[in-house]
Amino acid sequence: MKYILLLSVVLLSACTTPVHYPADILSSEVFDELPNWYDDRLGLQLQGNNQYPSAPHGVLLQQADLAFAQNNLQNCQIYLERAQRIATRDASIYVRLSYLYWLQEKPTQALQTARRALSVVGQDELAKKEIQRLIASIKQN
Amino acid sequence: MKKVDDSKFKRYLGWFIKLSLVGLVIFTVLMAYLDAKVRDKFEGKRWALPAKVFARPMELYSGLALKPKYLIQELEQIGYQRVPNVQTPGQYMVYGNEIDIYRRYVRLYDGEEAAARIHIRFDSSAISGLWVDGAPTEIARLEPLLIGGIYPKHNEDRQLIQLEDAPDLLLNTLVAVEDRDFYNHWGISPKGIARALMVNMQKGGLVQGGSTLTQQLVKNFFLTRERSLQRKAIEALMALLVEFHYDKNEILEAYLNEVYLGQSGRRAVHGFGLASQFYFGKHIRNLTAPEIATLVGMVKGPSLYNPKRKPENAIARRNVVLGVMQEQSLITPYEYKAWSMRDLDVVQYSQYQRIEYPAFLDLVRRQLRRDYQENDLTSEGLRIYTSLDPIIQRSAEQAVKKRLDDIERDYKLEANGLQGAMVVASTESGEVEAVVGDRNPRYFGFNRALDAKRSIGSLAKPAVYLTALRGDQYNFVTPIDDGPIKVAGANGQVWEPQNYDHKSHGIVPLYQAMAKSFNQATARLGLNVGLSNVVSTFGDLGVERKLPAYPSIVLGAFELSPFNVAQMYQTIAASGFKTPLKAIRAVTTSEGDLLSRYGYEVKQTIKTEPAYLIQKAMQQVVKIGTARFLNSQFDESLNLAGKTGTSDSQRDSWFTGFSGDKLAVVWVGRDDNKTMPITGSGGALRIWAHTFKDLPLKPLFPLPTENIVEHWVDLETGAISQENCPGVMKFPFINGKTPVETTDCQSKPGKAWWSKLFGE
Repeated sequence: MKYILLLSVVLLSACTTPVHYPADILSSEVFDELPNWYDDRLGLQLQGNNQYPSAPHGVLLQQADLAFAQNNLQNCQIYLERAQRIATRDASIYVRLSYLYWLQEKPTQALQTARRALSVVGQDELAKKEIQRLIASIKQN
Repeated sequence: MKKVDDSKFKRYLGWFIKLSLVGLVIFTVLMAYLDAKVRDKFEGKRWALPAKVFARPMELYSGLALKPKYLIQELEQIGYQRVPNVQTPGQYMVYGNEIDIYRRYVRLYDGEEAAARIHIRFDSSAISGLWVDGAPTEIARLEPLLIGGIYPKHNEDRQLIQLEDAPDLLLNTLVAVEDRDFYNHWGISPKGIARALMVNMQKGGLVQGGSTLTQQLVKNFFLTRERSLQRKAIEALMALLVEFHYDKNEILEAYLNEVYLGQSGRRAVHGFGLASQFYFGKHIRNLTAPEIATLVGMVKGPSLYNPKRKPENAIARRNVVLGVMQEQSLITPYEYKAWSMRDLDVVQYSQYQRIEYPAFLDLVRRQLRRDYQENDLTSEGLRIYTSLDPIIQRSAEQAVKKRLDDIERDYKLEANGLQGAMVVASTESGEVEAVVGDRNPRYFGFNRALDAKRSIGSLAKPAVYLTALRGDQYNFVTPIDDGPIKVAGANGQVWEPQNYDHKSHGIVPLYQAMAKSFNQATARLGLNVGLSNVVSTFGDLGVERKLPAYPSIVLGAFELSPFNVAQMYQTIAASGFKTPLKAIRAVTTSEGDLLSRYGYEVKQTIKTEPAYLIQKAMQQVVKIGTARFLNSQFDESLNLAGKTGTSDSQRDSWFTGFSGDKLAVVWVGRDDNKTMPITGSGGALRIWAHTFKDLPLKPLFPLPTENIVEHWVDLETGAISQENCPGVMKFPFINGKTPVETTDCQSKPGKAWWSKLFGE
């Protein structure tokens, strides 16, 4: 009986195939494109590499980051939403939006948006951990 | 005798003095009242300015899937003129696969876009290169299409201008034609009245009015169109008061903004500012002399001399005005001669001769009412920026109309008996991009997209299957019995659903039952997973209506509007993340100051794994199920997902489908709720296909997580097998909810329910 069970497990693992991730979230460089934002009020340093995608929405992300640096949160959000309409599955957009919501004292919305980021992050483990850290920090507060 | 006369005289005199005193008091009170009225109007807010509603501004960037014809359509709609050589803002030219646009300056809620030359290069169906003022650029925006207004009850629309905006030629012509003594009189012109009297006596009727511009303004501002001596007298008194308080320039500026200059549907065009845009597609300061003559000529009779509706009258009247201009030396005899020969050159399409989108505007208005008073919307000149995509809207309108016409012709039904509605939204942002509420899309009336509550039929099924996949008992290959089923109701009634083909299909795997839309299997599944759980899933998907936990809800025996259905399916299309559908992005004041913004909001209501599976199941509906028609219409690589729905006795035909970026819900039915000879596939599905056939869609890739695993399953036994074995198919599962049985290629147990599905 033990052997049959063992055989079943071996068989099962042999015929399990890795799931196919969609092409638009396959990139393993998600972490590189996460922002490295920090704001005293939250005390959480996002640790992305803050690189911009070469895709058209990269320009909008740059403008969003500039607005964030100038503490113009409204404009920052507007740029991010424009970027989101172009690249609906870019995790870095949702991470930024989540941080913004958190800053604007909307923790529920921040949490939900971070979860959205997690759902589109794909297979980049570093990025996944960073988003999970963001989620944990929002929950803690 | 003399004494008697004296006393009579004194008595009459006494009466006269008393009456005069009373008259004086009445006159003084009247003047005080009129004075207050005049000052109140002039010093307060003079005009109720309707809110202006704009579509989304088109974003241009390299890689954007956009056919040149759609960009040209958009440019034409926003009033750009196609020219051989682009020279000024508002023009564009096309050569080969390139388009050159001179964008106008535009102020949006999130900033300004300067006037600039935008150069676009296309490959077969996408933008391959973009330059702004000669420099390569990543992204550029066009100005948004004005799609309508929220008017006060009187439907007046205007674009306010200042006196400095108006060309001198316009002012001089207006004064020369309407009131030559304007700068000399005090509000009324005895000379003008005498001249009018003479002309009217000569012609034997009322041909010419003696009203000054001030009187005309007073009449439009304060009085009715009634023709009576009393009204004329009040008009004259008020004109005097206006002249007493305000200088000529203020009066002229008010006149320029107030005067009525024609009708555009239900909207009344007021003022030279809006009229110059409406008739000539240009700012008032850019009007040419013959255009000025046309507009000034319209003052006398806006309907009679309307250049769009009665061009011959308008040309004749314009030439009369040009004659006056020449007589007053405002133009030369040569110019008079040359311009009298010209066409009117009114624009056919302009921002201000807009196509209105009543169903979408209705949605905008309802969403605005949450934050704004009706009075603010109709009087403050607010600017409302929405998410409407005119390209998709137009395609949806055409598709609804064409398919309904075709069905009526093919089935020999009475014309215009069928109705349709459609809602298109972005799957991720929840922004509504198109709404059709009637087969006549210009109809301002019952908005079926929002208000037609209809039985949703099989569109309810994904919620049932989702409920099953959220639990622990079910996966894609769990066998479900599609045999006959009877459920006893509380009042002794028996609910006995049947399949569309009136056949039972025995034991079928779960995914197949959904793809083929089997009613009996779904009813049984719904009862097994628990009706309260199904109701709860509907709630999580965004159905706000409290549904009764009756067995028949699993087959959609309850009513929702197409908009409600779109909300429900948006959650599925966005992998379990519900985003409230919204039509508005932002509202600003008339000066452009941001009042409110409606940003991205999201809430995960369904876990990613079951959402992934239900998307996969809905892809099967398109691949092998009731929506396979889409396979013949769209590239397979789009991986479209969808669900057809047909309510009891074919009273409603539904389809909802989504790609990676767009979700659309279509309903077809009759207002009298009579049956139709079509199902969801024959009606609504075709409209969906027609709408998106020529539009770019992004492929749909359901989002997996590490908790999703895939296994090859032996179709005969339902057991986990291996890739190279015969008769296997790969299925996704949530980790821990995989089939328990395993098999290899050699050892196959006897035939199972799979054989019935796929044959021997």
